[in-house]
Amino acid sequence: MSSTAAGTIDHHHDPSTTTGIPNKKLLMWAFLASDCMFFGCLISTHLIYRLHPPPGTPAAKDVFSIELTSFSTFILLMSSLMMALAVNAIQKGNLKSLRWSLLTTIFFGLIFLGCQVYEFRNFVFEKHLTITNSILGSTFFTLTGTHGLHVLIGVIWLTGMLLYSYTGRLTEKQAIDVESMGLYWHFVDIVWIVIFTAVYLLEYI
Amino acid sequence: MSAPTSSPAVPGGHELEKSKFGLYVQIAMLLAVITGLELVTVYLPFLTWILVTVLVVLSTVKFMFVIFYFMHLRWDKAFCTILFFIGLVLASGTMWALLKLFSTDAARPLTSACLEVPAAMVIRVV
Repeated sequence: MSSTAAGTIDHHHDPSTTTGIPNKKLLMWAFLASDCMFFGCLISTHLIYRLHPPPGTPAAKDVFSIELTSFSTFILLMSSLMMALAVNAIQKGNLKSLRWSLLTTIFFGLIFLGCQVYEFRNFVFEKHLTITNSILGSTFFTLTGTHGLHVLIGVIWLTGMLLYSYTGRLTEKQAIDVESMGLYWHFVDIVWIVIFTAVYLLEYI
Repeated sequence: MSAPTSSPAVPGGHELEKSKFGLYVQIAMLLAVITGLELVTVYLPFLTWILVTVLVVLSTVKFMFVIFYFMHLRWDKAFCTILFFIGLVLASGTMWALLKLFSTDAARPLTSACLEVPAAMVIRVV
């Protein structure tokens, strides 16, 4: 965004830093770039073992539930929308709208985590796929579990921010804090976009 | 930390802020539609490479919409985009290299049958 009139806050550019970018935002982008490599390795590992499944590996198509995963994907996309609206709200100083958006994002995040817990339980107890009994289980649970952990951290962060907004110390000037959190949340979403295609959808072709 | 500061007026900025709400909602709907398309794609009776290409393109479109609009890269300084794409390119390069390395026949895991030593080659130790 750019400011509209003298005295309004420009949330995208910060002339007080040498890069012109708020330091917190720069830090978050650097972290996300490194996290890209982390998830890249986890996804590669899963795909490599799917290319050459060792004997006795269960068919992923028989294990996965594409309906549940599609629902989870939709929920995470909608949570991203609400997060974007939350950032938009704090940049305008609209605390009421910020709280509603954060609350909805938390709600969607919890639904996603609930779906993941249900999926994991189903895999372990119904399909007998565990993290130790096959390579598919090892790579799948490690990858999606790490992503789930990121979602959980995001939900805790969102809840903290929601509570902080009630202290009266969160104003338009601290919009960068919400924006940094938003970047993290959207990153969790884009990682899921890749996992949804690479891990789930490709199994059905 | 560096706090955001005031800056001179930029014409059209207010209109942009106003329209962001609608823009975000439109993008979210578009992303939902693309997800639906992806789901339909896997059941289409086409060649595997065509389906894989379509899926990769669709997920790339979703990815780009999220990073450039929801994550504000479109409006931020180009350095943010460069920084993130350094990580993204390194990650994609690593993935490509690993998949290429392990797509050869030599990379196939040995089965227990392959590991068995023929009886004639066993040296009996008395």
